[in-house]
Amino acid sequence: MAVEGSETGGNGFEPKILMFACNWCSYAGADLAGVSRLQMPANCRVIRVMCSARVRPEFVITALSKGLDGVVVLGCHPGDCHYSEGNYFTRRRGLFLKKLLEYVGIEPERFQVRWVSASEGAKFADTVAEVTRQVKALGPNRPRRNAQ
Amino acid sequence: MQDRLHDIVRKLLGEGTIEYFIGYGAGSEPHRVVPCFVTSDHEVERLVWGPLCLQNLSKYVLQAKDLEGKAGVLVKGCDTRAIVELLKQHQIEREEVVVIGVACQGQVDPRTLEEVLGVPMEQVQGVEDAGDQFVVTIGEDERTVAKEQVLLGKCLYCRHPSAFEYDFTLGEIVPFSIDAGESEFAMVEELERLSVEERRAFWQKQFARCIRCNACREVCYACYCKECIFDRKMPRWLDKPPLLSENEIYHLIRAVHLAGRCIDCRECERVCPMNLPLSRLYKKVQKDIAELFDYEAGIELDEVPPLVSFELDDQDPFM
Repeated sequence: MAVEGSETGGNGFEPKILMFACNWCSYAGADLAGVSRLQMPANCRVIRVMCSARVRPEFVITALSKGLDGVVVLGCHPGDCHYSEGNYFTRRRGLFLKKLLEYVGIEPERFQVRWVSASEGAKFADTVAEVTRQVKALGPNRPRRNAQ
Repeated sequence: MQDRLHDIVRKLLGEGTIEYFIGYGAGSEPHRVVPCFVTSDHEVERLVWGPLCLQNLSKYVLQAKDLEGKAGVLVKGCDTRAIVELLKQHQIEREEVVVIGVACQGQVDPRTLEEVLGVPMEQVQGVEDAGDQFVVTIGEDERTVAKEQVLLGKCLYCRHPSAFEYDFTLGEIVPFSIDAGESEFAMVEELERLSVEERRAFWQKQFARCIRCNACREVCYACYCKECIFDRKMPRWLDKPPLLSENEIYHLIRAVHLAGRCIDCRECERVCPMNLPLSRLYKKVQKDIAELFDYEAGIELDEVPPLVSFELDDQDPFM
């Protein structure tokens, strides 16, 4: 399950970023960004999940260890979870996981958690742009990609 | 203490209170102490207690669960935390198990002892506790070693030397402490001061040595899942080839699973055939859980584990 490199001919690195978006807020936010025709980099691959708490830490660890350049988890704002409390668990997990990943040598920018509501199409586009910029600056997750 | 242990176990077995006792017994060589399972009166003499009783016997309580009748188990202070966690995680019932607590005065790390004495463990006939030092018998000779020099890493920072959840105790509960000179988390902080690249280099070097023998999982008290995520075929979380990425995934997923449950028994590190510094990983997990959620596993029975609960005003600095 090696991840193919996405560098374009040596000039300019295009990172591969995995994005989990919750069905009720963030995915709708992504939709809004789309129908509003907001421009954003095409580096994020979005996976729709029913709740941000559906994203097991294992997903993040596996993606990063296998060489993806970044992982972003998007959920509803605290208090707005469709399932009342899912994103509160995401929040605790995110805090903990980020520290652990940093400890074993994964740059903190490679794993991010953000809150994007259904009405925040612009915030979605901004998040995509910001994360892409940060990960691009870090360069490829090459030591891990080469470890395949 | 050993005699008192024999008396208690004999009495419990005789009364029929327990069917099965899990303790320590002499191994194939004088310096080896192995888990020992006693079911009848005449086997009681096999039980020993001393500074080489390293194992965390709580793991075996889970296996005794399916047997008829109750099981008894001998626990040190650190192992008591495993019992508390197993109760908390609803893996055992308090009535099902008779806990014999012991006031531990520190356990010897055989690897360090070899280094300090310059003698292979095979020649060591026995180790006796003598206050703030150990008396080691080598052939005809007796040599004394200061405790700080040869204690297990976890014993240097021991905060629970005596069992605190028990039905019977061996001898008096005696306080024991060693001045280790630095913080419990010093080995984690040392790594935290490095740059991300240096930490990556450090851990990739360690994970690359892992042979994925699963010993750390098998010995872990918390790894009681009927079907482990690493053994699942569908979906398959871990590929078979001995790749660095798979080794890293194995250790990180284990660390996440142990978050809020690791009790710092360091059995994983002790059994690792490749001597991976696993306690440096799990100590980090404990440190984060303590700092972020003010929680320590295996102390309070009715405290809710941090990752299955939340507060409305939890911090989210980066979200």
